[in-house]
Amino acid sequence: MIELQDDRLLVSFPELHRDAQCRVSFVRTLRIPDDNRTYPLPAALGRFPLHHVDDFANNVPREWLEHGGVLFPMYQSEAMWIHFGRPSGCPFAIKVAAGKINAVSGRDWSPGLEGSPQNYMVIPAQPWLDGFSVHKGLIRQFVAMPLGEGFTAEEQLTGKASHGGLQIQVFPMRSECYQELLKRRATTRETFSFGLRSARSTVGSESMGLAPGGLMRQEIYEDPHGLDVWDTTRAARCFVHLVNSVAYREITGCAPPTEPVTADHYREAFIPWFEYYGGDAKALEGAPRLAELDSVAAKTIKKGGKSAEPVVLVDEAKIVKLRPRSTGAVREGSAW
Amino acid sequence: MTRKPRKGSPTSWTGFGPYLRGVREDKAAHDRAFSLRQVAGRIEVEPAYLSKVERGEVAPPSEAKIRALAKDLQQDPDVLLAMAGKVSAELREIIRKRPKEFGELIRQLRDAPDHAILRIARQVRDGEW
Repeated sequence: MIELQDDRLLVSFPELHRDAQCRVSFVRTLRIPDDNRTYPLPAALGRFPLHHVDDFANNVPREWLEHGGVLFPMYQSEAMWIHFGRPSGCPFAIKVAAGKINAVSGRDWSPGLEGSPQNYMVIPAQPWLDGFSVHKGLIRQFVAMPLGEGFTAEEQLTGKASHGGLQIQVFPMRSECYQELLKRRATTRETFSFGLRSARSTVGSESMGLAPGGLMRQEIYEDPHGLDVWDTTRAARCFVHLVNSVAYREITGCAPPTEPVTADHYREAFIPWFEYYGGDAKALEGAPRLAELDSVAAKTIKKGGKSAEPVVLVDEAKIVKLRPRSTGAVREGSAW
Repeated sequence: MTRKPRKGSPTSWTGFGPYLRGVREDKAAHDRAFSLRQVAGRIEVEPAYLSKVERGEVAPPSEAKIRALAKDLQQDPDVLLAMAGKVSAELREIIRKRPKEFGELIRQLRDAPDHAILRIARQVRDGEW
């Protein structure tokens, strides 16, 4: 089951094991330049506020009520990353799609897990996802764009703006496999603590989708457990609707978050950049289908517009290096 | 002159202090940051007062201090408040707004197993997509 707790999705399977709990949150961040250079991981700048779609049944498009799930506001061109937190010791397989395009495999949404190509991530090995997996060790940042203008991955691949938003599906480890894992951990003192970066028929015009932005250095890791350990009979899933900040106020009556941080603010506030090394974890190849997508800047130019990307200078010597066992490290920016 | 009654009977919080002390001393065994003096400093009370609380010689502190203790010692605040014979102001407010409904709900769930109670927590609804 999935609950909302402190602007996070709390996913749990209490009937399976009391450890079977993980958290998914959506984190505000700096939009990196879309200039085909590669950038390290930007910091967390607060969580997006989450709401039940059902709480605003009179104000949201009918399709959203059919989908159920939650909503949160994003400014146009704002960037976001997804944080996977795990309060207990239980691993999970997590699938993420944008506009029902799988962000790891690039394939259309399908209900189960696939091993070849792998269409999911495993936590805790994968603490966060910042974008679409385009090449081995490289993603294109998730950037919010209005549906219907052709920027989103969904529109570029299907020619339609049917779904938008994000789709999340979480699979727990089968109980007997988890018990085995616990036994192995007891004998090997294996630890999994890791450093935190501390989170249609065209649907309504307020809907946003995710488009591929700038290139970022991030690996998506191969499943170290194997496909058979996951309990595909108990998946929990959630449709996450993205709404622009103006419509957010109209729908919820709440003030939207402050405007996204700019590259200048980021630099002036000395907010760090991060690199994450997954230890022995093996990185997946990127998805060829996603690698062919136009980034927001490329699409803007193709449409006859001009792309004015901010200049961001990253001091490589000052990048904070995070490793799976670097407990206490937090991918957080300072207050802004 | 009437004596002001103490809030909560001693029996409702006698386990609080020893539990707190046990948790703190477990942590202090590995990390000196959890000495009585340092914890007291972080939650802004006198060490002597915290010592008395741990020994059960005085009633548990205010809700705010218990929350600060829970945060400092990485404990669940609702559990610590319950051990202190208190209910959080947030929960009191929830019940105060709909006393009949929540009174009935809590009575019905009194003997339910944990997993059944967890299922009642509001879930994010999944629809067709």
